[in-house]
Amino acid sequence: MPELAERHLPDPGWPVARPFWDGCRAGELRIPRCERCGRWVWYPAPACPDCGGERHAWTATSGRARLFTWVTVHRAFLPGYRVPYVTALVELVEDTRVRLATYLRDVPAGGLRTGMRVEVVFESVTEQLTLPVFRCVR
Amino acid sequence: MELARRIAVVGVGETRYERRSSRDLAALRREAACAALADAGLEAAAVDGLIVPGAGYGELHELARDLGIRGQFHAASCFHSGTAVVAAPLEAALAIESGLAHTVLCCQGVAWGSERRGNVGQPHAEMRMKAAFEIPFGWYPQVVHFAGMARRHMELYGTTEAQLGAVAVACRRHAALHDNAILRDEPLGLDDYLTAPYLADPFRAADCCLVNDGAGAFVMTSLARARDLRARPAVVLGAGSGIIPDGEYSSLREDYLATAAAHSAPRAFAMAGVSPADVDFVALYDNFTALVIQQLEDMGFCRRGEGGPFVEGGRIELGGALPVNPSGGQLAQAFVFSMNHVVEAVHQLRGEAGPRQVAGAEVGVVTGYTGAQHATLVLGRG
Repeated sequence: MPELAERHLPDPGWPVARPFWDGCRAGELRIPRCERCGRWVWYPAPACPDCGGERHAWTATSGRARLFTWVTVHRAFLPGYRVPYVTALVELVEDTRVRLATYLRDVPAGGLRTGMRVEVVFESVTEQLTLPVFRCVR
Repeated sequence: MELARRIAVVGVGETRYERRSSRDLAALRREAACAALADAGLEAAAVDGLIVPGAGYGELHELARDLGIRGQFHAASCFHSGTAVVAAPLEAALAIESGLAHTVLCCQGVAWGSERRGNVGQPHAEMRMKAAFEIPFGWYPQVVHFAGMARRHMELYGTTEAQLGAVAVACRRHAALHDNAILRDEPLGLDDYLTAPYLADPFRAADCCLVNDGAGAFVMTSLARARDLRARPAVVLGAGSGIIPDGEYSSLREDYLATAAAHSAPRAFAMAGVSPADVDFVALYDNFTALVIQQLEDMGFCRRGEGGPFVEGGRIELGGALPVNPSGGQLAQAFVFSMNHVVEAVHQLRGEAGPRQVAGAEVGVVTGYTGAQHATLVLGRG
């Protein structure tokens, strides 16, 4: 079970993000990719920041990433968060401009360092919602 | 249109800053605005331009009514919160030089201490991308966003917790010299800082700005008119605004540690014809300690990655080479979206800052920050 209360769960039915959550339930980390120039478009946006292309295909990624930065949160800033927890930004190996906010699992005893390898794992929260979190790779 | 040295700040005012006030935001704004007008020796009827950042449509007209402004006025605003306060002289200069207004009042206040609705980060929670992809993963609220930047800065450049602490300690020492600073009587040494518990590692409570009630205001008019008014004017030497080009989400910025100060500061310095070496003190938007370090780098006071060592050894304290946030700032005086920084800069340039006075202060710089936005203001002794 993740660190947050039910009230902070994302709405998996929001049309803009629905393919993301569908992918997570299917065990794939899918990110929109411009059909014209191939750029990953993250967050989802109406137009590609490089070429302006408006057609983006949700595309499976490897789920491999590197640790970009992290914060160990000791106070519950929202009611219902269970602390302490480690929240992080990770950058996908496919394109370092695609950064995801996530929880970190399997934090090594020696601590964290920028650039550490991480990989996605999927945690089922409800029937409709699976969250992608990342674990440190030994 | 040449805007340098065309207008001046001719009056400043503030309420008492308190953790919680018994009065509402409208009353706080009115008190601050009246104080600024009295300081300028002007009647409310003289005001024909208003900049009230963050005020909703109704609040703008309430303030005009409560001040007794009955004539037509120009309402200028586009930037948000802290950026809007510090960019107000730019807006005012445009309005005054073009004849849209003669006397412009900027007022900013908060009542987050007493009126906090849910959470200080609420506006962010209402942004759908954050609600979908950040908040569910604990990447919220702002203290987490800025702690993430601080951690990245530490990892890339070796910045230390003691260097973050140096910013907190400097602000606290300055606040101890200010009668209207919320943390005046709560001293903080570096050891106190380092032994305090984390809120969001690497940040502790002392890395975070205050949550409080209060308001401030300042009045601007042409430099020619300013010469006839009662107070020594603070001349607007230069002002600049800037925008991070890749948008609102700090988590996704290509240059994750850059603030739009990298754009606003060069513009403001160029307009003013001064360089960082000419600056006697700075009042930098300090929502969190690390942002002070980031701005010092982006504005050219030191190079990227050197902000940590720069703030050490008392350099940024009163008496040091570059006093930072002499009022105590938003970390130790009050959080008012940089309004207190503008007010303090004017007091410093008039030479009326008492025990906090920066000796021989001729040029002061104020900044405002709002996520992707930033403003830099260069003020000079009139």
